[in-house]
Formats: sequence, structure tokens, C-alpha cells
Amino acid sequence: MRAVELGVVSAGAAILGSMLGLGGGVFLVPIFTLFFAVDQKIAIGASAIAVVTNSVVGSSVHLRSRFTNLRLAMLLQVATAAGATAGAVIGVYANPRVVNVIFGGVLVYAAVSMAVRRQAATVGEPVDDDRLRLGAVYRDPAAKDPAAPVRYAPQRVPLGLGVSGLAGMLSGMLGVGGGVIQVPAMNLLMRVPVKAAAGTSAFMVGITAVATASVFYAQGKIDPTVVVPAMIGVFVGSQLGSRLTRRIRTQNLVLLFVLILLYLGGSLLLRAAGITLPGQQ
Amino acid sequence: MSAPSTPRDEGSPGTESIESGSIIGREPADFDARTVELLPIYQAAGSVLTWGFRVAASLLIIGIAVALVRQEPLARRAEPLPKVVLGLLEGEARRIVDLAIVAMIATPVVTTLVVAIGFLRLRDRLYATLSLVVLAILGTSIAVALLA
Repeated sequence: MRAVELGVVSAGAAILGSMLGLGGGVFLVPIFTLFFAVDQKIAIGASAIAVVTNSVVGSSVHLRSRFTNLRLAMLLQVATAAGATAGAVIGVYANPRVVNVIFGGVLVYAAVSMAVRRQAATVGEPVDDDRLRLGAVYRDPAAKDPAAPVRYAPQRVPLGLGVSGLAGMLSGMLGVGGGVIQVPAMNLLMRVPVKAAAGTSAFMVGITAVATASVFYAQGKIDPTVVVPAMIGVFVGSQLGSRLTRRIRTQNLVLLFVLILLYLGGSLLLRAAGITLPGQQ
Repeated sequence: MSAPSTPRDEGSPGTESIESGSIIGREPADFDARTVELLPIYQAAGSVLTWGFRVAASLLIIGIAVALVRQEPLARRAEPLPKVVLGLLEGEARRIVDLAIVAMIATPVVTTLVVAIGFLRLRDRLYATLSLVVLAILGTSIAVALLA
């Protein structure tokens, strides 16, 4: 039954994604369209709802640990939500080929940025002022000293807003969460520690995807026979994934992720050029 | 938190000869205070997310169960809210599933509302406003979706 296949595939994507702290959202649309001949717009709608589900389930953990920076989230969310609404309105009518090119490009970018992944050490940097009161503190149970407070203040807010707006637009057009752009942006550009960036992004992503999902819902692009397996699969997968995290080496996971992203991204680009790779529909 | 005030410090380079309150937010205590005051909001947001998920998941399970029992296939297209309500009144199982999807989408919206209220209670006008702006942006896209 197609529903079961879609569900299993969604679970697989979510397991992989959650082991690396990313949503599996980035995989759903390519896999659904390339291998299951799901209509692109319906796949995007389903992916957006899967992202919402993942965010709703996942962010309670981050909130409890105070990794999520609520002020930063709300500030950036203005740009992301606006971008997502605009992106979704454009995307729901856009030519699927154009979307494939953009999506393929984003996947390749994501692969490269993961392969080259750097993390900024941001703890303890002095700040000139924090007029926007974005500064926050959290404690990291996984750190050497779990009780040590980690204090940081996000910098370069205008740049962060710009990147968030862009991430939002892509989110609206492609049905992805946007975390793959926002987490590095928050960490490297805005000097937010990785855990706080990930926690804030996990929270934001759900709100962004709501904008996308609503626009696609309004255009009748929400298909329960696709959405329901995706929702269930992503939920099960992220639960499993967070439990499996400890067992597998991060380097191998990253390599696997990068290879999959390159394969899917390349396939979408080829598809836009009219080429269907063997094994795909 | 107050600047040193011994006579020889005044006016010499590198000292804070202005009150430390105007070098905004530099002290560790500021970071801590800013986070601690948000604790009620963290809790409220967490509750909304947890309960929103439970509502959506329950509706989904019920909807799928009823559809299976009645051998009613799921819709290929989720309908806007007015049609969902009509469908529910006519006992269509597939509309329960539509409602589950709506509930899932609505959860982050309610969360944003709760965050906005939290900032209002803290008299944090800037962030209350920003949260309400986000809500307005979401609201427009949702209103179109539910009423179209």
C-alpha cells in the first residue's frame, strides 16, 4: 500500500535527520516526487505539515532545557514568517521545474555546508550592548560541567533577519523547515552557541511551516492520503532517531547525509532538465 | 553591578564613568535575569505544544480508526474549515482526519499567542509587539486557508 511505503520512507528520513539534529523535512519532497510520483505541490504541502509535527513534538525538549531563545525566535520569526508566506504564495503557483532547480540547488548547498561544517566557539564573548535584550543563559547537561551557565548575546541582528527572511522564503517555496540555513546563520553569523541555535531553530521552524501549510491548504494542496503517512512516519522516526543518536558515529552519519543530499539534489536538477534517473518514476 | 567609585578611577581611560545601567545588558546577572523572567512563558509554550500534539494525535487516531471500521477511504484533498464542519455533522470520518491536520497546524499559532500574552504580562512591549506581528502574519495566511 502506498500509504505504508510513504510512512516508512518518512520515518527513515526523520530518523536520519533527528540523529543529526535536523528535521528530515529536506528529504520528503525529493523522495515523494522522485520515487513515488507524488505531485510536487502536494508533496510540499505534506512536507510542511510534517515539519510542523516534528517541531511541535521536538521543541518541548528544547524549551524545557531553555536552549530556545524566545526573544530571538520571535524577532527572527517576523522575517521568517513573512518570507514563508511570500515564498508559499509564489511556490504554490510556480512551475515545478523551476522549483526543482531551486530545491536541487538548496540540497547541494546543504551537502556542501555540512561537509565543511564549522562551529563557532561563542561562549564568553563580551558584547558592547544588548539593547534588544536578546542575551540569554542556559545550562548544558551534556557539557563537562553541567551546572556551568552558558551566556551569550546574539550579534549582527540585521544580517540575521535578512538570512531568516531568505530561509523563510525557501521554506515557503519548498516546504522545508529552514533549519539547515538558520542554524549555521545563527551560530556563525550571530554568534549563538550551537545548542541554543538548534533549540531556537527547532521552535521557529514549526511556526514558519504553519505559514507554508496554510497557503497550500487554501489552494487545496493538502492530500490526507500523503500527509497522514508523512506525519506518522516523521513522528515515529524522530522518536526512534533521538534514541539511536548515541550509538552511531557522527562522522559516518554526516557522510551518509551528504551523499544522500547530493544524490537527491542532483536528481532534482536532472529532472528539471527532463532526465529521469533509473529507479525513479 | 555598580561601577567602582573610588576617586582615582573617575575620568581615567577605560573606566565606566557613566552608570553601568547605560552600558546595556553587559553583566552576567542581566543575562540570567532576562532568561529567568521568561520561565512562565517557557512553561506555557511547552504546555501548549504538548496538549496541541495530544489533541491532534487523538483526532488522527480516532479519524483513522473510524475510517478503517467503516471502510471509508481518506480524502484526497483536505477541505477548508466550513466544509470540514459540515462533513463532521454528516458523520464523515475523513473530516475527522482533516480536523486533526488543522489541529496540528493550529498548535504553533496558539503557542505564539501564548508567548505574546507572556510578554505582555512582563510588560515587554517590544517582544509582545513582535509576537503579535508574527501572529498577524500567520493569521492572514490561516484565515485565507480556513475560509476560502
